[in-house]
Amino acid sequence: MSALLEVKGLSRFYGSLKAVDDITFSLPEGTILGFIGPNGAGKSTTMRIIATLDVPTSGEVLLEGKSLVARPDQARPLLGYMPDRYGTYDDMTVFEFLDFFARAYRLRGNERKARVDSVMDFAGLLPLKDKLTSELSKGMKQRVALGRTLLHDPRLLILDEPADGLDPRARIELRELLRALASQGKAVLISSHILTELSEICDTCAIIEQGHLLATGTVQEVLSRTSNAAAFSEVELTLFAPGGAGLEEIGKKAERLLLEQPLVTNVTVLNHAVRFRLELAAGQTPSSGWVEEASVRVLKVLVNAELPVTSFRTREHDLEDAFMSVTKGRVQ
Amino acid sequence: MSAEVLSVPREPDAFDRFGERLADRINPIVVKEVRQGLRTRVFWIFFSLMLVACLFISLFAFAASDGIADRAGQATFIAYFVCLGFVQFFVIPYAAYRSMSREAEDETWVLLTLTGIGPRRILAGKLGSSVLQGTLYASAATPFLLFSYFLNGIDLPTIIVGVVVSMGYQVFLVSVSVSLATLAESRLVRALLHFVLLGILLQGLGFGIAGAALIGEFAQKVTSSSAFWLTSLCVLFGMVTTGLLLFEAAAARLSLATEDYARGARMVYVVQFLGAAALFLWGWQLSGEAEVLTAGSVTLSVYATLVGLFVGSDRDGMAKLHWVTGGRYSLLKPGGLRGYLLVVTLLLFVAAVFFGLALTEGTLPMGAMLVLVAAPGFALLMLSLPLVIARWIPHPPWQTPAMIRLVFLGLVVLMTGVPPLIGEIVSDADDLFLNALNPIVGLINIERQSHDALPLVLLVWGVAAGLAASAFFSLRARDTEWLA
Repeated sequence: MSALLEVKGLSRFYGSLKAVDDITFSLPEGTILGFIGPNGAGKSTTMRIIATLDVPTSGEVLLEGKSLVARPDQARPLLGYMPDRYGTYDDMTVFEFLDFFARAYRLRGNERKARVDSVMDFAGLLPLKDKLTSELSKGMKQRVALGRTLLHDPRLLILDEPADGLDPRARIELRELLRALASQGKAVLISSHILTELSEICDTCAIIEQGHLLATGTVQEVLSRTSNAAAFSEVELTLFAPGGAGLEEIGKKAERLLLEQPLVTNVTVLNHAVRFRLELAAGQTPSSGWVEEASVRVLKVLVNAELPVTSFRTREHDLEDAFMSVTKGRVQ
Repeated sequence: MSAEVLSVPREPDAFDRFGERLADRINPIVVKEVRQGLRTRVFWIFFSLMLVACLFISLFAFAASDGIADRAGQATFIAYFVCLGFVQFFVIPYAAYRSMSREAEDETWVLLTLTGIGPRRILAGKLGSSVLQGTLYASAATPFLLFSYFLNGIDLPTIIVGVVVSMGYQVFLVSVSVSLATLAESRLVRALLHFVLLGILLQGLGFGIAGAALIGEFAQKVTSSSAFWLTSLCVLFGMVTTGLLLFEAAAARLSLATEDYARGARMVYVVQFLGAAALFLWGWQLSGEAEVLTAGSVTLSVYATLVGLFVGSDRDGMAKLHWVTGGRYSLLKPGGLRGYLLVVTLLLFVAAVFFGLALTEGTLPMGAMLVLVAAPGFALLMLSLPLVIARWIPHPPWQTPAMIRLVFLGLVVLMTGVPPLIGEIVSDADDLFLNALNPIVGLINIERQSHDALPLVLLVWGVAAGLAASAFFSLRARDTEWLA
């Protein structure tokens, strides 16, 4: 797949502050890239540069192979930018708002009407077309903002924290909308703090901290890379006690045995479930398969002690773990 | 007829289609602003209040017309104008300020800019919609203004001139308001600007109404005098070019870092500066008094200093790629050095022309001639010194535009206030040598003691030339550092 967007060695310095420092990634069409990082990591700065709102100190951003730093005017028709603030006019109806922006994008007559109708239909705004935007819920306002972003049919969408403050239903609906847009061939660059959401939406991800890109690739690639490199893993096991008799005693025995084992920390017992963490000591380098080896050893101890273990599983490494393992929580 | 039949939307007729096509052609901001404006309570409340007030004035004027005979029309015209002026010179500019500052606060102007509409069209849309709203108010008030003609005491051309000039004045005040709105970057500044704007608009309202009264009182008596037309042209020129300059400055502030923001504002400045010089020359021709050239030199020097402070402290924020394509000395492109050179070049050119003309005519007294020569020197000195000081102090906050302007204000206070104080203690407050570099007392001294003043003029020019060279090299070094 050819890359629609290519970011090469991008840096943005504000005096001595390096907001973005030499980051490189690409985004093919029909792909959703999740941009992950703590506050102040440089996500919004990068997005603003790609949206032609700011200029890099050095580096290049290519959209369809052409520099958007050199010719932002040519790049703008190809991109749609949705900032973290929705930017709606409270005293306009949904239709008036979209109609106004369609005019601003120089859409005329029937073409404009058709485009506004199609966007309202896609974003599920038709029943709300005569409502003032000030009367809409946050989720609906966000749909209006997304609709505005789509009016000129851009090929690249840049969405800065679009899921922020949305309720679960609105988030699921947003996810479906974004998936539909990707299936239309649009490339989507999305930043979010809600990592579980991103892992379900995104095909690729880029983790950024202190202006540096720490990991990038498909979600699976980043997960497998970071799970191998992770220094900890969460484990959950279930104990069996017929009718609950002696459960407390079994639980205490399990806790005591677990705490005696090397690498085991954070043991919690709750009824039938026992959770603990396998964690390497500070300075130890994780080797491939160390979690599996440690798990086998611990399970063997429990079984040898004749504890009634009915299930034993290590929790799957997700984007949140990947994020935690590669970042150090530093902000600028 | 059933309710369902009633709810079927009407088919668009030819008029609707024409309206649609027209709306497609005009600036979308105008469509949006008019839509929003007509929906507000403020519009309808002031519209109704103005009509009611005009109605009461008409009834009163009609009832009292027998008693005040031929003066009734003029007084009624001014009374109507107060009602219309309040809306045109206060309510509409204030609404434009609110609309623009909301655009900046909600960051919607960023989204607008991304559509390709551009800051100039955004601002033009704001101005256009204000003019439309003003026209709506004026059209409602026009029948009343015409009524004042029937009451005698004022002629029809004066009424028309009053309405047209008021529309121009309204555009000027809207330009001021919108420009102020683009300055508000923080909540504190916004609150401060709000009060500044209210003060400006109240003062503007006073000037507007006083202007209408003057037009009503004197228009018929002085229209044959060329001095009246020169004064009118100067006022109109000043209003239009300052409005345009503010408009372009606001557009520059709204421009993204990726755009060439300086060209428009600098072009207007060049036109304004050369136009003002031409008006002074016209005034000199009309009056035959060479002192007009001295007045022109002083006025333009002060103005060049003030504008130069803004363009000379311009930060090079735009994309380096665009910066480099223009070359270092493309004076209309962004950048402090280019701005400084533009202002200084224009000032020196106009000063040289004025000096040459005054010398050729040979009627200018020695004192006035020395002031004509010294004023641009003081301007160069006062403009260059803050730039040099800011560069000398190696802390970045000292090199910000705001700090350079603060340094300028500090220097003005020091250089105009301290020498007379020392003079008061040592000898005289207006001591010739203590006030040699005082831009106010120094100039007055040069004019009063012209026989001793030539060395002072040379001193001023010597210091100014040294500082100008230093400012030039400082700004050039800053450019080089920034580009590295």
